[in-house]
Amino acid sequence: MTDTRVAARVVGGIKIYGEGDTEVRALDDIDIAFEAGKFTAIMGPSGSGKSTLMHCAAGLDTLSGGAAYIGETLLSGLSEKEMTLLRRQKVGFVFQSFNLIPTLVASENITLPIDIAGGYVDQEWFDMVTGTMGLTDRLTHKPSELSGGQQQRVAAARALVARPEIVFADEPTGNLDSKSSSEVLGFLRRAADEFGQTIVMVTHDPKSASISDKVVFLADGRCVEELEGPTVDSILERMKSLGG
Amino acid sequence: MLKLSLKSVAANKVRLTLTALAIVLGVMFVAGSYVFTDSLKSAFDVLFEQEGATVDLVVRAETDFQFATELGTVPDTLLAEVEAIDGVQTAVPIISGFAQLVDQEGNPIGGVGPPTLAFSWDENFDDVSALTLRSGRGPEGPGEIGIDAFTADAKGFVVGDQIDVITPLGVETFEIVGILGFGDADNLLGATLAVFELPTAQRILDLEGKYNQISIMTADGADIPTVQAEIAAFLDEGLEVVLGEVEIEEGREQVDQGVGGFNTALLVFAMIAVFVGGFIIQNTYRVIVSQRTKELAMLRAVGATGAQVTRMVFFEALIVGIIASAIGVGAGILLALGLKSLFSAIGFGFPSGPLTVLPRTIIIGMVVGVGITLASAILPARKAARVAPLAAMRDTESTYFKSLRKRLYIGLGVLVIGAAMLLIGLFTEIDQALLLVGLGAGVVFLAVAILAPLMARRFGQIVGAPLPRMLGITGRLARDNAVRKPRRMAATASALMIGVALVAVIATMAASLKASITEAVGSEVSADYQIETGGFADPTMSGISVQLADDLRALDEVSVVSVVRYGAYRDPVGQTESFLAAFDPEVDQTVRLELEAGDFGRMGPGTVMLHSDVEGFGIGDPYPIEFPNGVITDLEVVAIFGASLFQIDVVISMEMYEENFDNRFAAMMLVNVAAGSDPVAVRPALEAVVGEYPNAEMSDKEEYVDKVGAQIDALLNVVTALLAMAILIALLGITNTMALSIIERRREIGLLRAVGMTRRQVKRMIRWEAVLIGIFGAVLGLVVGVVLGAAVVVAIGEGIKLTLPWGQLLFYLVAAALGGVLASLLPARRGAKTDILEAISFE
Repeated sequence: MTDTRVAARVVGGIKIYGEGDTEVRALDDIDIAFEAGKFTAIMGPSGSGKSTLMHCAAGLDTLSGGAAYIGETLLSGLSEKEMTLLRRQKVGFVFQSFNLIPTLVASENITLPIDIAGGYVDQEWFDMVTGTMGLTDRLTHKPSELSGGQQQRVAAARALVARPEIVFADEPTGNLDSKSSSEVLGFLRRAADEFGQTIVMVTHDPKSASISDKVVFLADGRCVEELEGPTVDSILERMKSLGG
Repeated sequence: MLKLSLKSVAANKVRLTLTALAIVLGVMFVAGSYVFTDSLKSAFDVLFEQEGATVDLVVRAETDFQFATELGTVPDTLLAEVEAIDGVQTAVPIISGFAQLVDQEGNPIGGVGPPTLAFSWDENFDDVSALTLRSGRGPEGPGEIGIDAFTADAKGFVVGDQIDVITPLGVETFEIVGILGFGDADNLLGATLAVFELPTAQRILDLEGKYNQISIMTADGADIPTVQAEIAAFLDEGLEVVLGEVEIEEGREQVDQGVGGFNTALLVFAMIAVFVGGFIIQNTYRVIVSQRTKELAMLRAVGATGAQVTRMVFFEALIVGIIASAIGVGAGILLALGLKSLFSAIGFGFPSGPLTVLPRTIIIGMVVGVGITLASAILPARKAARVAPLAAMRDTESTYFKSLRKRLYIGLGVLVIGAAMLLIGLFTEIDQALLLVGLGAGVVFLAVAILAPLMARRFGQIVGAPLPRMLGITGRLARDNAVRKPRRMAATASALMIGVALVAVIATMAASLKASITEAVGSEVSADYQIETGGFADPTMSGISVQLADDLRALDEVSVVSVVRYGAYRDPVGQTESFLAAFDPEVDQTVRLELEAGDFGRMGPGTVMLHSDVEGFGIGDPYPIEFPNGVITDLEVVAIFGASLFQIDVVISMEMYEENFDNRFAAMMLVNVAAGSDPVAVRPALEAVVGEYPNAEMSDKEEYVDKVGAQIDALLNVVTALLAMAILIALLGITNTMALSIIERRREIGLLRAVGMTRRQVKRMIRWEAVLIGIFGAVLGLVVGVVLGAAVVVAIGEGIKLTLPWGQLLFYLVAAALGGVLASLLPARRGAKTDILEAISFE
């Protein structure tokens, strides 16, 4: 994987909700590219369009205008089924909450995308990912028997285990206390470092964003600022200057 | 709180619609049964009024049998004596019996259930009966006949055509001179009609010198009681003269009884449907309440008392119950209307009358519908009251695991009660035994429903075991989802159980009956061929012309032809009615009677042969009996037999039958071919003779078994069709449960979709979950049904051997699984369309 390769991108992305007077432009001609192997954080105030951007880039939602690509695949040209298959093969997800199927144990939740696809689990890789996530002794537990942090780590492991091109994480620590948060963030960071995993994380928390390689700031559906090698302080400073 | 209830109903429209549909269907069935049968009754009332207006007195034999279709006779010499009495203006002698019409292709018309009536015609008939001439004239000569308008229309007969008629004595050709209706109906509930001039009617029904009754119209100004007393004075014993209105009233009672019985039968099935509906409603409310835990807890938190919450859920049920029941009653009226036209269309016409919707029908429909809804909502409403104000914070699962042991004990307790009711009803002789059996079965169903959640999880895991292997994770999730809420799965499956169980009961009984008959025919029939009519006809009012027996005897290829007839009799002590058979002396050459004592050769006037099941009689004992003609006598027991072929306990000689019964048709003939003849080789010769009698069907043993089997199957199909409503409601229940579960698991499905599950896979997952529920219901139903059916078969006894219809049971299982697929179609589609973003977005 070369550093210049782009894992996913949105070109001239427009997303409009509603019509007429109630029209809301959640994305307003946005251009953004997520470099392969990089950990990108998306920040912005409520309503800035960061979740919408993630959903459209990840193939969970469709753009009203412009184009979204995962690798070189144009998402708008895909049927519903092709989109589903693409998500299954190339995208990993970590949501803010309710990431796990309650009836399945941790290991089954982790292999869920592979099982859905009917593929084979690479046991070595599975062990490596779960080991990295610190889940080795939790694999046979049901989600209800896991702490919030453990649940999000299982979700992260699930996102990684199918070797997707890109992992999207939507406020993955939004529901966690600070200790669990830093655990989960630490594992995401390691995934990027050790496995070269491309990660895009939506967050509103500067501390979370500070572990990324690059922070992209959104406002009113546009990319307004980019910050390489962020720290908590530099992020806070930018947020202030953006009036957030 | 009422306002909240109303709003809640409005908000839960989708969820409640399916529930309401269960109520609507149940109530529709109940109301439809009443409206249909009430309309039937009032139609008959109109007929009776047409008939009864002019007849003042009726002279007839004293007979008050329920079972018998025979009227008894009066001597024809009585007519002149009656006419001689002052005040009698007109006396109309009437003959009434049975004869079957034959169509132009030589096929018998009717005779598959409704009677094939034959009457004598009199110029005064327009006055004394409900028969009305549509065209032509009444029969006046020996070769003339009038037929009913439905038959004429259906078969294209017009006045002037020739028509063959099967009479007890043979097949004769008549010329149609008139077409008649029953009042304004073309026929009477499928009954065909043949009218002849009086002497011809007497001749073909073998009633020469006799009438069945004499209807009398008195002169203007005559005092009817006086005329009645004068006639009564010279009547022989066993005859009576009654007021015309008494006869009408009796007829009306008979109709009421018949229609009432029909109504009861329909209502039984309607109540089964309602009972099943109750399961669905209860289940829906429980799910809705638990899904609304947060809302209810919020109400509690802002100060609503538990009682208020209960009341709210209760009011909600009341609103749904009232609306659904009202729709159900309306739908019931439409159903009755539809049934009425259906009946007319298939030739079971009944006299036109208004559709009768009695207030009683509406009240019962509403009470049943609202009642079952409220009763089903009680438990969930009470559960709602217990929702703690803080429950809003937690995701509460049902408390079922804590009460596992309690559930087991309660379930077993109820099961014992139900089983006891069943056993008492089946094996002891009490009044209302049937009702007790029915209620017992209902209690057993409840017990199994209570116990089912204890089995649901294990069942789902075992039966669902192949799913993960077949379908991978999709199958795994389907299985796990099914058993996730064992109580919900069990309640849904239990609704299906009831219908399946009842079908299985009937199937078990039918299979046992068939097996027994096959065995009896195999071991007891020694005749080469049997001859019977084709249809279901009551053997006491139709059959084969006896002439056929003589025609066959005339063949060189035939050595023995024996004749069997049936009739009703009454036990003069216990007053219970039953059927007897009459054998001619050759029967023991064609059937192995398995005599246990006595001598069949001594059968004749004044003697009787009893089945070994009849207790308390030995050879030489007097056996008291009453015949439909009013004769009460003691018969000497001359033989005890063990054959179960006829399913009859009492056999008299043919001579005594002809003395005491009017029926001259033969119910069955058994034929032995001559020694040295090959039965197969001579069959065409026999068939040529039998073919002269359009309603006679000749069969060898194997064909006979098949024929009886087909008749039993036809009955089985009718009952299954009536149970279809209960099964349909149960399938709706599966749809409902699946729909509710999908609403509940919206986020889960959204997540699965997000991580790459295709819509097709989501559908498959939901479908297999429904299939598992369906199979669970079917297995419960089949087990309960087979056990119940076995108990019934054992209780009936009479040599019926318990046989399980494995093939059919397997078919029901597969059908239930397919029913699950069908029931899941809509929920699966809905689940597959789950909007991912909406589902996963944080609430």
